[in-house]
Amino acid sequence: MKELLKALADSDRKKEAPPEVETRLTAAFREKYKRRVWPYFAAAAAGMALFFVRVPKPQTMEITIVTPPVPALPVAKRAIRPKPRPPQEIVTEFYPLMEDPPPFERGELLRVSLPAAAMRSVGVPVSEDRLTETVQADVLVGQEGLARAIRFVNTKEIK
Amino acid sequence: MQPTDYELLAGMLSGDEEAFTALYRRRQGPVYRFALQMTGNVVIAEDVTQEVFMALLSKTARYDPARGSLASFLYGVARNLVLRRIEKTAEIEDYAGPEDILDDLTRRETMENVRRAVLSLPPVYREAVVLCDLQDTSYEEAALALDCPIGTVRSRLNRGRSMLAQKLAVRSSV
Repeated sequence: MKELLKALADSDRKKEAPPEVETRLTAAFREKYKRRVWPYFAAAAAGMALFFVRVPKPQTMEITIVTPPVPALPVAKRAIRPKPRPPQEIVTEFYPLMEDPPPFERGELLRVSLPAAAMRSVGVPVSEDRLTETVQADVLVGQEGLARAIRFVNTKEIK
Repeated sequence: MQPTDYELLAGMLSGDEEAFTALYRRRQGPVYRFALQMTGNVVIAEDVTQEVFMALLSKTARYDPARGSLASFLYGVARNLVLRRIEKTAEIEDYAGPEDILDDLTRRETMENVRRAVLSLPPVYREAVVLCDLQDTSYEEAALALDCPIGTVRSRLNRGRSMLAQKLAVRSSV
């Protein structure tokens, strides 16, 4: 019986999937990597640009930053103290929230507060004793209303 | 020096099409033959091969090199797909059923008869025979692909060979 099995194995040894399978897979590969790289890069670049450089909106991409209104602080008349500087923000890179998102056309960047445990869900390490602390984050919401990516924000006052 | 499977996989994940093509060409043959020998159906074997590599494209994070070779991982993915097809596709069961073997008893003992005898084994023994006897996979790799201990692979293989010997003996005696 061993000889029969060996003969069967030998007779099948050169059998392979037809070339059409490779063609279809290559097309899927190209589609996946074309779609995967562009939206995240574009979203991250657009978000960074809007936050730090304040460049004009690109025509092909409509991103609106929605932040809660900040009440004006009372200013002491004839104050001698120097004016406080605006808070400096340190942001992480964008972490994708969708595995295979549709092409990015336009979206909104929403500033939200989340428990630190949310950082773990995208692979950012957080110590156990800080899981319940609140962190700020920017969520990129695409044109279809789904959250596509998130970045975390650390705000520091400069004295 | 040839890049390892893992190096090709890493290249593929970073969007390197050449790495993906090289990995596919290196590993598609065994996956296709495994599916073919498990189902006896070229269409299903083709579909399974495509689905295995599609799964690799979308779920590569689940592959853990510490657990075993990429080849074993691919066999494992293929096995799950094949078993799902076997459950769904009645004609495979009909094709491999004992009545068909009896119908074929008058044929000569050809490769096709051996193939049918293999296909008539219950899947749990068939996969052990296909991996270890037809694909020349080591017991360790087969155990990883079948997600069971090595001892279980050995016992299933022995049982599968024994059943196969009986089927072929019946055939040759008629």
